[in-house]
Amino acid sequence: MTILSNQTPANLIEIRDVRYHRGDRAIFDGLNLSIPRGTVSAIMGPSGTGKTTLLNLITGQLQPDEGAVLYEGRVVCPCSRRRLYNTRRQIGVLFQHGALLTNLSVFENVAFPLRAHTRLPEQLIRQIVLMRLHSVGLRAAWQKMPSQLSGGMARRVGLARALVMDPQLIVYDEPFAGLDPIAIGAILRLIRQTNDVLGITSIVVTHDVEEARMLADLIFLIADGKVVAHGTPERMKQDDSPVVQQFMSGLADGPVPFHFPGPDYAEQLQAMSGS
Amino acid sequence: MSTLVRNSWLSFSEFAATFGGFQMFSFRLLPYLPGALLKPRLISEQIYSIGVLSLVLTMFGGFFVGTVLALQSYGTLVEFGQVDALGAFAAEALVRELGPVVAALLFAGRAGSAVASELGLMRATDQIAAMELMAVDPIERIVVPRFIAGIISVPLLAAIFSTVGMLGVYLVGVHLLRVDAGAFWTHIHDRVDLFEDLGNGMFKSFVFGISASLMGVYEGFNAAPTPAGVSRAATRTVVITSVWILLFDFILTGSTLPGI
Repeated sequence: MTILSNQTPANLIEIRDVRYHRGDRAIFDGLNLSIPRGTVSAIMGPSGTGKTTLLNLITGQLQPDEGAVLYEGRVVCPCSRRRLYNTRRQIGVLFQHGALLTNLSVFENVAFPLRAHTRLPEQLIRQIVLMRLHSVGLRAAWQKMPSQLSGGMARRVGLARALVMDPQLIVYDEPFAGLDPIAIGAILRLIRQTNDVLGITSIVVTHDVEEARMLADLIFLIADGKVVAHGTPERMKQDDSPVVQQFMSGLADGPVPFHFPGPDYAEQLQAMSGS
Repeated sequence: MSTLVRNSWLSFSEFAATFGGFQMFSFRLLPYLPGALLKPRLISEQIYSIGVLSLVLTMFGGFFVGTVLALQSYGTLVEFGQVDALGAFAAEALVRELGPVVAALLFAGRAGSAVASELGLMRATDQIAAMELMAVDPIERIVVPRFIAGIISVPLLAAIFSTVGMLGVYLVGVHLLRVDAGAFWTHIHDRVDLFEDLGNGMFKSFVFGISASLMGVYEGFNAAPTPAGVSRAATRTVVITSVWILLFDFILTGSTLPGI
């Protein structure tokens, strides 16, 4: 792991000129982005722009082809497995559908990282797990199995599990997808409260514009492999560039075309009738 | 013709890639084995789910293979006037051959496919990624315990298969076909050797156990994270393991017979 500076950097995450290709397709082509400590940052963009790929780069599941992803001024990947795991212990991740271990109860799911990484006595583990479950409103559901939970409840348990090791950074992958308005409200409140009360940093990957406006301190809009706009929700609202306007207003056509790129319709019809 | 050549080349490339990936995966497991033995709880949980839960099927299979073996061999033995040797004949067939092979095939169908589906579903539902991100090595935590549990379970299941099979042979031979009970057991005692026959059968089971559990964890862990990928992993586990078991059985039987 390369240490680039001895001082604690103001930004918890720095992404510097990252290029990443999947096959021949460039997902990121010179991506630059900084996540300040203590903020809730929303990463937004149309489907297929690489938002989840960006999370995978931040957590070291993927390695950039060029450029660097820095966590606290240190390169996340490449590095030894031990170093990577040490970094990951400081990062909590909430997956889109919770990714709870289906053969373990709610309690055991939340206790899982504690049992794996600490030698805490059972009594203390019980207290920590119940405290975390209480903070997400699911203390009474500690005995349930993941199959008995609704989508929103599974995500709240996932959040309790992500918090149990007291991380510095929490990454949320599409936390609002497929939830009813009440569950969305609960998750919104939990993300904001968790960030402010525990003084951690949060990254939320989402394409829910309204939720991002309500929640985030900063919004980064990604398109064509780059950050095309960033700033506070207010600033993004006033940004009059076509791509920002299309995304923030939910317009079907614009710089991001409605039709998948291809040949002219008339030409295609002619070619198909000819063959 | 060119299509045939291209398809053949693609099939060969896919086979070579799978074979190479399988070898790499096998070598990747090796360093974890000593450490896994220090966590017996994870292994015993898996022995329960893949071994103990396969017991009923194994016993059912063993009993009926034994009864059919007795019925089929009785006619031939009567012809040669060797009915009393029914027990010894069936015992050798069960302990050396049918027990290890059929128990391993049943294990591949019941437990191997279950392991492949379970790991494939864990991949598809981000559970394996979640473990990685919790800094928990999924190979150590979920793959190696299942692999070791399979190696332990298959020889035990084969032994139970053969034992219950002999019960079936005894019931059909002695109680239905009226073979003398004393001669039945005496021939078994005289003919079946502890090391040569039982040892041979156990060694085969051990090899089959490695094949079945390794293929299950490999296919499941590397399954495409889609419903089709999970189902393909389960199918491939059963098909490839069955082929391996039959192939290894031929090689092991040939190499352990005296004079070959």
